[in-house]
Amino acid sequence: MSSKPKVLIVDDEERFRTTLRKLLLVKGIDAASVGSAREAFDELDTGSYDVILLDVKMPEMDGIEALAEMKRRFPHLEVIMLTGHASVDVAVEIMRLGGFEYLLKPCPIEELTDKVEAAFERKKNRESRARKKESTQEETAS
Amino acid sequence: MSEFRVLIVDDEIDFLETLVKRLKKRKLDAVGVASGEKALDILDRERFDVVILDVRMPGLDGIETLKEIKRRTPLTEVIMLTGHASVESGMQGMQLGAFDYVIKPAGIDDLIEKLNQARERKLLHEERIRSGRNVP
Amino acid sequence: MRKESGPAGTCPDIDFTPYPIEEPGQSRLRLFQALITLLPAALAIPLFLCAGPIYALLALSVAAVSFMVAGYYIGRIARANEQKCKLDLQLIQSQKLAAIGELSSGIAHEINNPLAIIGQEVEWMKHLMKEGGCGSNTPVGGMSEFNESLIEIGRQVDRCREITHKLLDFARKKEPLIQAVDMNRLIEDMAKLVEKEARQRNVLIERNYQADLPLVRTDPPLLRQVVLNLLNNANWAIEDRGVITISTMRAGKNAVEFMVSDTGCGIPPENLDKIFDPFFTTKPPGKGTGLGLSICHGIISKLGGSISVDSEVGKGTTFTVHLPAETTKGKN
Repeated sequence: MSSKPKVLIVDDEERFRTTLRKLLLVKGIDAASVGSAREAFDELDTGSYDVILLDVKMPEMDGIEALAEMKRRFPHLEVIMLTGHASVDVAVEIMRLGGFEYLLKPCPIEELTDKVEAAFERKKNRESRARKKESTQEETAS
Repeated sequence: MSEFRVLIVDDEIDFLETLVKRLKKRKLDAVGVASGEKALDILDRERFDVVILDVRMPGLDGIETLKEIKRRTPLTEVIMLTGHASVESGMQGMQLGAFDYVIKPAGIDDLIEKLNQARERKLLHEERIRSGRNVP
Repeated sequence: MRKESGPAGTCPDIDFTPYPIEEPGQSRLRLFQALITLLPAALAIPLFLCAGPIYALLALSVAAVSFMVAGYYIGRIARANEQKCKLDLQLIQSQKLAAIGELSSGIAHEINNPLAIIGQEVEWMKHLMKEGGCGSNTPVGGMSEFNESLIEIGRQVDRCREITHKLLDFARKKEPLIQAVDMNRLIEDMAKLVEKEARQRNVLIERNYQADLPLVRTDPPLLRQVVLNLLNNANWAIEDRGVITISTMRAGKNAVEFMVSDTGCGIPPENLDKIFDPFFTTKPPGKGTGLGLSICHGIISKLGGSISVDSEVGKGTTFTVHLPAETTKGKN
């Protein structure tokens, strides 16, 4: 497993996406970007990603709906929500649906990359625990 | 009743002169200038009730001129008159305080009616200020 | 699927008058109190002369009791009214606060997106500076990226400025100046403006003006803004090829209605509730802040009218504006 996460940025503001990609690349984080939840699902079907940066307010599919759908179809992904305005209700909903974190825009790039790394850590730990469980099960089976 | 003074601002000289002539024939005191800068200049020195303002002019364009007119003499009513109609500039103009937005060619009778309505508005506005009510 | 916005009077405005302690009904009750006191009291003297002091005293007692009982109930009614007024004010106040709260979160979101972009551009520029500086040995590519970031920052600042300006416009009270208006003429003027652009997209405008509409006493430029906004929305609701229908009609004795219909994409039922909210928009970011319909609603309320919307996804949308009119014969 690579040491750096593969990130997918989902946000309807184009300039936000492109500059964020460049900034993440400077930190050694490889990121792709799409402009809508629909495109995100297409991309997730074909590529392999570790952490998703997902905007809460987007036209067409709502960010929260997208989060629920993502967790359903790709439960191994970690999702970080980005939002323009904070609301306790939305925050609770995000955590309830299994989001890793939610960050308020504008977010300093340092904080963003820290959270991405942390999310990636959690994913790696979860997956290594799952692998260990599998191998002990195999042992007891054989 | 004081004289009804109309200022027409348009860089198309032929159109400008024709309109001034026709309005004068209808007993309006009409003056024409060919640029936004000249318009602001004359408005600084003389009183006008209504300004007919072309949207697309070289130099200071219609919207910029409108902004300045509303800043300096907010009671002067402005009718935007343009051959290059666009909904965008219409909405923008009216949000900035233009009284009306008319596409060329406009019938002279229509125009006079609008001028009258604009002037009526100016008088109502002045009346309101005199009677001490709040002004937007 | 219908959504009504209330007529003026049910929309809380920014200033409010203090509640009355005694309502008009109160004076009627006082009159009643006086009546039931004075009537038996008036009978005291004739009773004294005809039937004796006991009956006179009885009459006076009845008068006194009536006075006190009436006074007691009038007091209770007055206090109940006071309570109701207080609660009404609290309700209006909390509605206003709720509206302000909604407005603030809308604003916050609208402004935070441009701020996020500006923040990122600054980070990128710092990175470019660190990499190659901006001196004579800066590669051309780097300089143009630096410039692009600056331009983008400018663009986002402009966006914020538009938002705050439109917001100030929205909040500032624009007291209407009332003039007599020929509705058909006013609407037709705006239709002609939109028609040029609509025709390029194969959108036709059909008119259905009722002749002999009464002149409406309203604010012409404010109404023009509303009409233009509705027509513009109708135009853009239609992807390619469609019809915008404008109709005007009398509505009862002293009112006029006009409708703007389109055969466009329609509004989904979950959005109908929010359609007149400030900042609600389905347009992509940066294009239109969504203040248009909320401003329309505000203007129509100020003009004493109401605006409502009917829509079906895939079929189209109809906005109906109802305005009170004063029938004036002929022109001013």
